[in-house]
Amino acid sequence: MDDEDDAPPMLVSADGTDAVDASLSGEMEDMNVTKVPISIITGYLGAGKSTLLNYILTARHGKKIAVILNEFGNTTSLEQKPLTVSSADSSLATEWLDLANGCICCSVKDAGVNALESLMARRGAFDYILLETTGLADPGNIAPVFWVDEGLGSSIYLDGIVAVVDAGGLGRELDEPVGEEAVEHEGHGGKALSVAHLQISHADVVIVNKADLVSEAQLAAVVARVRAINSLASVRVTTRGRVDALEGSVLDLHAYDRVRREDLDFAAKGHSHLDKAIGTATVRFGVLGEGGMGALDAWLRRVLWESKVPGFEGAVGWEVHRAKGRVRLEGGRVKMLQGVREIFELIDGVDVDGGSGEEEQGGRIVFIGRNISGETAEAFQKSLDTALAGV
Amino acid sequence: MDQAPAKEVTVQQARKCEGEDCGNDAGALQCPTCQKLGKESYFCGQECFKRNWSTHKQLHKSQNSHFNPFPTYNFSGSLRPSYPLSPRRKVPDSIRLPDYASHGIPKSEQVFVGRNRIKILTKQEQDGMRKVCRLAREVLDIAAREAKPGVTTDHIDKVVHDACMERNSYPSPLNYCHFPKSVCTSPNEVICHGIPDQRPLQDGDILNIDVTLYHGGFHGDLNETYYIGKADQDPDSVRVVETARDCLEESIKLVKPGALFRDYGNTIEKVAKAANCGVVKTYCGHGINQLFHCAPNVPHYAKNKAVGEAKPGMCFTIEPMITLGTHKDRTWPDDWTSVTTDGSRTAQFEHTLLVTEDGVEVLTARLADSPGGKVPMPTATNGAATS
Repeated sequence: MDDEDDAPPMLVSADGTDAVDASLSGEMEDMNVTKVPISIITGYLGAGKSTLLNYILTARHGKKIAVILNEFGNTTSLEQKPLTVSSADSSLATEWLDLANGCICCSVKDAGVNALESLMARRGAFDYILLETTGLADPGNIAPVFWVDEGLGSSIYLDGIVAVVDAGGLGRELDEPVGEEAVEHEGHGGKALSVAHLQISHADVVIVNKADLVSEAQLAAVVARVRAINSLASVRVTTRGRVDALEGSVLDLHAYDRVRREDLDFAAKGHSHLDKAIGTATVRFGVLGEGGMGALDAWLRRVLWESKVPGFEGAVGWEVHRAKGRVRLEGGRVKMLQGVREIFELIDGVDVDGGSGEEEQGGRIVFIGRNISGETAEAFQKSLDTALAGV
Repeated sequence: MDQAPAKEVTVQQARKCEGEDCGNDAGALQCPTCQKLGKESYFCGQECFKRNWSTHKQLHKSQNSHFNPFPTYNFSGSLRPSYPLSPRRKVPDSIRLPDYASHGIPKSEQVFVGRNRIKILTKQEQDGMRKVCRLAREVLDIAAREAKPGVTTDHIDKVVHDACMERNSYPSPLNYCHFPKSVCTSPNEVICHGIPDQRPLQDGDILNIDVTLYHGGFHGDLNETYYIGKADQDPDSVRVVETARDCLEESIKLVKPGALFRDYGNTIEKVAKAANCGVVKTYCGHGINQLFHCAPNVPHYAKNKAVGEAKPGMCFTIEPMITLGTHKDRTWPDDWTSVTTDGSRTAQFEHTLLVTEDGVEVLTARLADSPGGKVPMPTATNGAATS
């Protein structure tokens, strides 16, 4: 005899309150909410990433910051699956730790955009997200994951990449990489390339930490070396991860939605060749019309998508890590170029410098990358001149 | 009033009370036993339920052993999975297997270096793609002819599987990242990756069937959405299905050497918006050749940064997923079934394309006798008139 032969049970609500919640949250999702910035923190084990994050997590900044400790390695595990039809394997964030000043700290295996969005959906929005990568992570692989297409309407946006380096150890890490620290050894495609090179060349901010442990002369040499590798990045010197003003140095970088004129001024000023592996190329061009804009875009597609310098097919063995530029258009409008590896975007610029236009008659693009200075840089300029001459 | 386009609301038909002597609308109250079984039976109230108990409870016994494996999950629409899934279908040794067939992981696809490099196929390889795409079209057509009210999606899976075997082909979805079946069947609010199960198709459903074959070392991938029974009389269903069909057609018109992969999404979004429909952003078209999914990535939404341009000899898919309501998606706990978060209907069409010297060859094009195809928008007098 089973229960069914007894009196009928009480009817139950089908979805009841849940259904109401679901429809509400559905509406909420469609509302245009404020986007939350995410910064990616790279740096070798021992450089002071954790000290910096500890400082941020405990300092009084009045922000609700989520620090995500990412466990994935440097390469293969990070293919951006969410954008293919084969996305079935997203294991989400599991553990987190609430901290007294409103921050949380958690570790995720798959730190894709979806994982962070659903973390926010469950934990409420944050003011800021910091993603700490493993020591040997190549930011060139991680940045594209979080540099979300505008059309996706994500609730997060990539604010910038911060590289933390150890003032005392950087020289050795760059010049004599051991084991996994090396990307390519000397002799193959030029000078030895280390993960430290990649972390600096992709960075928007480089924090030179442990400054108190080296002499002034040594510190100056390290800073000069960092600037030689990446003249677009801003450099901060710190001791024990104590960054005086978090805004602009670790938070609120706007490195992927703004390109300011002065960012390019410094990089374009001519560069030291202190580093043999990574260099800078700056190309200049005049005010562009509709046709010129199309020609520039086509030229960028050849260079960035296909690694070819049109007209200079002999120029090989180079690789662009980061590109930033400003394009002046007829009628006074400005377009800004952002690029990481082969991905690039030309977005409408808000002319944050006031746009007098006197110093900025034309456009400039700064490329940072492997084997890119000297002859390659000249080839870039000549090739672009030819591409724009016909329009 | 009537010239204004219908406001975009998916109106669920009011549920009727299951009580035999009762014509009332049912509320949100349902029989707990049925709920546990994954079935739905609503009553207007306890009184009516009590009166009908003696007959209603018979249903519990007559119900077969099908069940909803996720009874506590908050489903976004009315569709429920109907388990158990049938056992994994067998593939004879004579059929060439892709690398993931045994262990579920498509290792050959997981290259990281040069992940944006797009393969150019030789003439011979292009012939391989032509062959498998033609076979895939045949299999889809066979499956589509079976899709009618009362038929389970598991039956369609069997039909697809058998048709693959007859063509000496492996059904590519089977065990791809552990997908359990040989085809994806996605009814109503399912955007894509629906798992064939024991649910019989209902009159008025729309159903996407997504077929991929692996033959001679190449994958061929296509899908279409079909009207089940009288669904072609429902204006909203026709709007979403025909818009999805148009989106694919219009974007294919752009394909030729030099066309940028980032541009198709602009056209798709434009066509969808004009019909007051949304575009799903989570799933993209993809390169296809010796690999099931590879570069390029082809977003269906506007404002993307997709890398690359079409060149003769490239093969890729375009497969827009179009919704009546929100474009946002959510995945069932089966880790595959992708549904709209508002439960609104969604439709998709897909072709495998080969870029030629001066345009495009639709390798999975419809045949003269392919089932399905365009239907006209039903006129307002056909039943679902504005009330």
